[in-house]
Amino acid sequence: MNPAALSLEQTPPLSVPMRFFLTAPLFVVAAAAVMLWYGPVVLSSRWMPSLLAVTHFVTLGFLAMIMIGAVQQLLPILMASPVPRPQLTSRAIHLLLTTGTLLLGTGMLTGRAGLFIPAMVSLGAGLLIFIVVVAYCLIHARSSHATVSAMALAITGLAVTSGIGLVLAGGYGLAFFQLPRYLTDLHLVWGLLGWVGLLVIGIAYQVVPMFQLTSNYPAVVMRWLPRGLFLALLLWSVAQLFPASYYWLELPGGAGLAAGYVSFAVITLLLQQRRRRQVSDVSVNYWRLALVSLLLAMVLWGVDGLTTLQHAELLFGVLLVLGFSMSVVSGMLYKIVPFLVWLHLNNHMQAAGRWGEKIPNMKQILPELHSRWQFWLQFAALLLMLGAVLWPLLTRPAAACLLVAFALLWWNLLEGVRVYLRYVRAV
Amino acid sequence: MSSDAESFLDVSDLEPPEPLVRALARIGALKEGQYLRMRHRREPCLLYPNLEQRGFTHLTRTSGSGFDVFIWRKDDSAAEQAACAAADESLGG
Repeated sequence: MNPAALSLEQTPPLSVPMRFFLTAPLFVVAAAAVMLWYGPVVLSSRWMPSLLAVTHFVTLGFLAMIMIGAVQQLLPILMASPVPRPQLTSRAIHLLLTTGTLLLGTGMLTGRAGLFIPAMVSLGAGLLIFIVVVAYCLIHARSSHATVSAMALAITGLAVTSGIGLVLAGGYGLAFFQLPRYLTDLHLVWGLLGWVGLLVIGIAYQVVPMFQLTSNYPAVVMRWLPRGLFLALLLWSVAQLFPASYYWLELPGGAGLAAGYVSFAVITLLLQQRRRRQVSDVSVNYWRLALVSLLLAMVLWGVDGLTTLQHAELLFGVLLVLGFSMSVVSGMLYKIVPFLVWLHLNNHMQAAGRWGEKIPNMKQILPELHSRWQFWLQFAALLLMLGAVLWPLLTRPAAACLLVAFALLWWNLLEGVRVYLRYVRAV
Repeated sequence: MSSDAESFLDVSDLEPPEPLVRALARIGALKEGQYLRMRHRREPCLLYPNLEQRGFTHLTRTSGSGFDVFIWRKDDSAAEQAACAAADESLGG
């Protein structure tokens, strides 16, 4: 990082990331409400329309929403490469992503083909703006940190996932177009192990040592792991697209993906085991839950469970989405949000020349007890959801727990913003 | 290096933003001729503009697996001399 290039003025307004962070948990509440309404039938097959709606509320409405908001905040702070016109850009992406996700989910739930075309336009435009803006910022990044290349690969993963997603949505929305179902596995694997996974790795390189007081990841891992995973994903994809000629690439591609993600999980767990201060921390608990879920998902992937074991596809999905991705995101939110609130309050006081005034610390901005309760609820929701895949009667209790967990997450984040507004108004 | 001139603060085991908070609190109490030597495991990039705005300046040196940041008031030449001497010494050592 070039410290001279880093200035407080480059920090985008708090509203840029927060509009994404405060919208996202509400999509999980909506997904849980759909599961409560439809009950056990949701998890009866991966092709159930209600499950497709739930999945997209969660992956687009929650995961993509948070990650897109976080990246706009991280680009200026970690890479000294601010997003151009941050307010306008974030408003446009947020509006298009929110509208598109609502239309897509509703279209899937109701089967109304007419909703898919506006959903495709809205999501396509929102994601395209985001991809172009991040590509521009990465090209202008004044940092050679491994996070830059990991983020570039993750954004490529998002472009591939979105492209396949648009084709799949076309299959629902356009009468003349045959739904190419064989692309679904590519869509979900590029989404979870390409976009989400690579972005988590790239961000972990910075936030795990910074916030969890661990050593840095080994240099060779930082440099090669994302590239190796991306190559493995390409090999695996070629095998899926051209099975007649390239079926043999599935083994090196699939094994490479599993080995890469297992390595990431094990290395991060070891770093956390040896962190400088062994204090109890909700964010670390979330990371551990996420990494153990990732390891279990990779075991399922490794034993070829996706095709041979009953329920394995759904267990893999729950482990990777709710267990890994959503736990990492919640864990990061509990560090990033209070830190951003503190940073903006500090900037505000500086600008007002009121240096001597006390501003609340991280634990006052987001009380530990509230986040601890939220963690246990989200953990229980994961266990119940895994149980519901095997025993469908657990679907509604799992959905209820998920709903309460993410309503509480939303409330906790809102409390952080309230603290900020209270102090700013007082000044 | 005069031990009276140096105020030492090790924030290596603190998570953000605590190192910045403690450093800003400590520089407010620096006496004439005194500088702050802050030891951190990472380079405290967010601290620098805060120092600038409050009329302080700094020198940063790598130290073992981390960084030593020497901070003094811009208009305090005695503190500047002592800080620069300590920074040079840390390079030599």
